Amino acid sequence: MFFHPKLRVEDFEAEAMPHFPDLYRTARLLAQDRAESEDLVQEVYLEAWKSFHRFQMGTNCRAWLFKILFHRLHHFRRRWAKAAKMEAWENPEDQDNLIAETPIPQEIRDEDVLEALGRVPSEFREVVLLADVQEFSYKEIADTLKLPLGTVMSRLSRGRKLLRRELAGVAQSFGITPAKDRERAGESA
Amino acid sequence: MNVLNFNSEQCARIRRHLDAYLSNELLVETTSDVLRHLESCEACSRELEARTRVREALRRAAVTQIPPEELRQAIQRQIRKRQPEFWGGSPQLTWAAALVVVVVLVGVMAQQWIRLRQGRRMVASVLALGVSDHLQCAIKGHNYPDIANPPEQLRQKLGPQYAGLLEVVQQKLPGFEVLEAHICSVQGSPRKYVHFITRGRGTILSVILTRREGEQLPNGKRFVSGNSGSVNLYEAHLDGMNAAGFESKGYFGFVVSDLSQAMTVQIASELAPPLKVALDAGSESQARVDLGEVPFAARWHRHS
Repeated sequence: MFFHPKLRVEDFEAEAMPHFPDLYRTARLLAQDRAESEDLVQEVYLEAWKSFHRFQMGTNCRAWLFKILFHRLHHFRRRWAKAAKMEAWENPEDQDNLIAETPIPQEIRDEDVLEALGRVPSEFREVVLLADVQEFSYKEIADTLKLPLGTVMSRLSRGRKLLRRELAGVAQSFGITPAKDRERAGESA
Repeated sequence: MNVLNFNSEQCARIRRHLDAYLSNELLVETTSDVLRHLESCEACSRELEARTRVREALRRAAVTQIPPEELRQAIQRQIRKRQPEFWGGSPQLTWAAALVVVVVLVGVMAQQWIRLRQGRRMVASVLALGVSDHLQCAIKGHNYPDIANPPEQLRQKLGPQYAGLLEVVQQKLPGFEVLEAHICSVQGSPRKYVHFITRGRGTILSVILTRREGEQLPNGKRFVSGNSGSVNLYEAHLDGMNAAGFESKGYFGFVVSDLSQAMTVQIASELAPPLKVALDAGSESQARVDLGEVPFAARWHRHS
């Protein structure tokens, strides 16, 4: 179809704006800083509005917006330096270490979680955020990130473990010790 | 960092499923296996609890990222400023769409032009019937006297079916004198015409009626020159003559002269409504027209 009915900004806002908090949070936890995440979300909405005629009303607007978000995000990333961490985690030795089930602190503060998350390489972080925070299914994540289902599953598994390890590290640096360590410390005292 | 020592192969197998279990992506049967194992294995239950805690902590922490209200407002302002481009701004699609529009427009215009031409041809071919009789009978044949034939004689020539029309023509043509009235035809055609030859305004004017034989004048306002008492009038300039015509149920009526087109149409607009009523009604009091029979044979004469 070459022609389509005049698009109404009210329809777009009704469909797309309810997802603004989710998009912002995801962008904020994946972009380098606040300014970049705001630019990113703004670009997502302008891109979505520009191509709103291709969106079929009644279909999953949230998934559509996230797809645009990650398309833009990957575009942004080309401008960022490739994370050194990513190369480190690709090391088979490190992967083996990831099998370790890191004990986690009893008290987990939001700041610790965010700091730990920031240390997880973005390729894993984005899958963890989509699965555990936004509660997308594996299939939806594969579709959004244009990845095979198996890659989504392995990145999620590794991403969760990395987060847990980073969380333990962050907590310790703030003087919070895992439960088992505290128990052990009590026994030795 | 503690390195896990699996209690059993079963623990290792179940822990491989724990991520999918947490994401609710396991098949029902596998979920049952995991649940059964968790009931009897404290280590794996603790592991699941730890993973769940991390996930819950992540969810809580993510919610602390408050989206700035000013960003939402800025986005809405930007959106309202920009109407999205058609067809996603693709130049190929824009050109293709423009081409389609041009082709459709040219097609529509060509169709309109063809219809207009066909309609005008239909008008001209019908009005040519009246013009040819006027030219052959009145102008070239000069089949009228210098002094008008008496009305009684004219009524006789017209016969009982059409005699009543004489009065209509006389009344509706002020300033014109009916010199002759008869039934005639033109060379090479069996078509018959009821022909009134009149004189006025320095010229000869014919009022001609003929039966429709399947022909019709086109519908559509663009072919109609005027309207008088719900009768549509058509006009044409043919062979140096101006003709105005109308149709009734069974007849065409023409006014043909070398007067101006406007005057010819004006005269036809006076004549057409009463003639149509008389022809359509076929009543005794009006014109005694019987649309079902055409008993011309004994009365019509042929002009050569």
